[in-house]
Amino acid sequence: MDWSTIIAGLLTLAILSFLYRDNPAYKMAESLLIGVSIGYFLVIIWTKTIMDLLVDPLFYDAKWPLVIPMALGIMMFGRFHKKTSSLSRIPIAVLIGSGAGVAIPAMLEARILKQVSATVGPLLTDTGMPDISVIVVLIGVLTTLSYFYFSHEHKGALGVSAKVGTYFLMAFFGTTFGYTVMSRMSTFIGRMEFLLSDFLKLTQ
Amino acid sequence: MGDYRSKFAMVETMMNRRIPQMICFAFGAALFTVFFLSHPLAKDLNLTITVDYWQIIFAFTLIVGVVSFVRITIKNIKKGEDRPYRIVSLIGLIAMPVLALIWGIRGDSPFMWVFEYVQVPMQSTVFALLAFFVASASFRGFRARSAPAAVLLIAALLTLLSRSSLEGILPVYFSDFADWIRSNPSMAARRAILIGIGLGSLTTSLRVLLGIERTWLGGEK
Amino acid sequence: MSATRSQPVFETRHLIFLSLFLIILVTMLIGYNPEIKVTSETQKVYDYIDSLPSGSVLIVSFDHEASSLPEIKPIALTVLRHAFSKDIKLIGTALLAEGTGVGYRLITETAKEYNKEYGQDFVYLGFKPQYIAAILSMGESIPDTYPEDYLDKPYFSNEMLKDIINYDDVAGVISIADGSLTTHWIEYGASRYNVNITAAVTAAMMTTYDPYIASNQLYAMFGGLRGAAEYEKLIDRGGAGKRGMLAQSVSHIYVIILIIIGNIMYFVQRKRRRGSK
Repeated sequence: MDWSTIIAGLLTLAILSFLYRDNPAYKMAESLLIGVSIGYFLVIIWTKTIMDLLVDPLFYDAKWPLVIPMALGIMMFGRFHKKTSSLSRIPIAVLIGSGAGVAIPAMLEARILKQVSATVGPLLTDTGMPDISVIVVLIGVLTTLSYFYFSHEHKGALGVSAKVGTYFLMAFFGTTFGYTVMSRMSTFIGRMEFLLSDFLKLTQ
Repeated sequence: MGDYRSKFAMVETMMNRRIPQMICFAFGAALFTVFFLSHPLAKDLNLTITVDYWQIIFAFTLIVGVVSFVRITIKNIKKGEDRPYRIVSLIGLIAMPVLALIWGIRGDSPFMWVFEYVQVPMQSTVFALLAFFVASASFRGFRARSAPAAVLLIAALLTLLSRSSLEGILPVYFSDFADWIRSNPSMAARRAILIGIGLGSLTTSLRVLLGIERTWLGGEK
Repeated sequence: MSATRSQPVFETRHLIFLSLFLIILVTMLIGYNPEIKVTSETQKVYDYIDSLPSGSVLIVSFDHEASSLPEIKPIALTVLRHAFSKDIKLIGTALLAEGTGVGYRLITETAKEYNKEYGQDFVYLGFKPQYIAAILSMGESIPDTYPEDYLDKPYFSNEMLKDIINYDDVAGVISIADGSLTTHWIEYGASRYNVNITAAVTAAMMTTYDPYIASNQLYAMFGGLRGAAEYEKLIDRGGAGKRGMLAQSVSHIYVIILIIIGNIMYFVQRKRRRGSK
């Protein structure tokens, strides 16, 4: 067995030791993970964005307009001093403004119009019988939306609708819980496969 | 003197609120308009804002986050709070750029070795711990206390059974029913949540652009 | 210190944890692979990739973190193997920093299995931050978004990228995700640039994308270790999905039993409480 696998295996066991309770081995591994993750992130951001999109085009290809986003980026560091903190609001304004400008048409089209039009389908099948699935989806969407409508008290028809909506929400949460269990178990099975196969060589 | 102070306050308000709001509106309006245009100039503007402005500023904001982390960690080391653990974090953080600087970040570099044999095993194992907590939560919290809770329970049980290899033993309609629940009532609720989020995002974006929503500017100062 | 001493050595949760650990350990040591049925959703993804003519170009985006790798890796491998076996050219991207290293390793190792050559049959462009900006700018110009690939080679020095300018020049995007990033591919890539989006996701994210499947905004989706096992069956090649299916099934049954025991205890206690009133 190579040293790399031994180290990975020991670190895996150190993290798993948390299942008994918090302990120095877990804390040490966790601290190392935090540092290494941030370090990895920093290196990738530096090489793939700052160097590739800013430094190289600006200094090697003389793409001078890039001075503006660079200045805006540097303004972010103004946050570290009280006197210059207001400078950081300008790049934040660029991010928030452009984000909002992009989001308006995208949300309207992808989340609202497309989803609403997909909900309103023919309620009858080709044979003239009511299409139960389409009806269920229509009722589900309307009643769940009414559950999230808080401008009026949930009484009378709205109360009944919101109550029905609760059942649809529970069906969603239950299904999602089932798939979440599936996902978490898959992750643990993956780690166990590493421990049994690569680290302990108990399976092929 | 008083006049000087009021002028200073006016400039401060301009810097703190008015100018950021104007910039926010200008960039928002530009990208909103560009969405409906197919002229090459519009495409160029879109590319300039998304690549040159957005990504570069975003990269700097992430670096600001890293600097903040380092400052807080050093402060805590000086104070003596969890000193050994904080030092290990700092060593990990410094080691990665140093390794990248000396040997690069490609294929079999030490930088990638740390990523593959230190970061990935630990991070995925932390995530794997959730399997145990989900099992514990199923035992402690998943109770049929009311009719909606019973629906939640039944939907979860149906999903778990239909996605296990017991599907071969169970009648076919069992899996079909579980799939129907997912594709219809469950999907309907998720769709309503999606529409709700869409409406919320839309109105918030409009409020931000029009200067009605100003919480992103922080406090008065 | 006294607080530590007062803690019991063994608590109920420890019993639950230990049982789960032993159940998965034993089932994995048994090594039996149960027969599974292929669901229509996995079949649709398979049919889509299978229907693409050889030489088509697909973008495979590794939109996940390192934490979900044990679940994501088998899923990603099946898609990559199927695509390479069909002589489909792949462009690898990553919208999350941690997906970068993982994606490069997966795509290059799978390419080796099929004797595929870098630059001719596949290219890895790597990571771009701010995913919405990256998706939008790729819609306008991929070479402007990625002037260089992951190996620092200029974009157009890769033979297969000579005619690839934006989404119009690719057959579609396969987003391998453990979170909501596929949503952004749908909302910004599909809605604005009409690019075909297919998702290969962790099981926990599947219900999140159901409305997009129902509205045809997302072409197809499969996921989870179970999805990987089904795909492995379709491409007739075993892998971690197939190997993990017994443990996966038994763990589901274990959770079901825990839920049932928990409810029995709850109803017995409730009956007792009502009886004592």
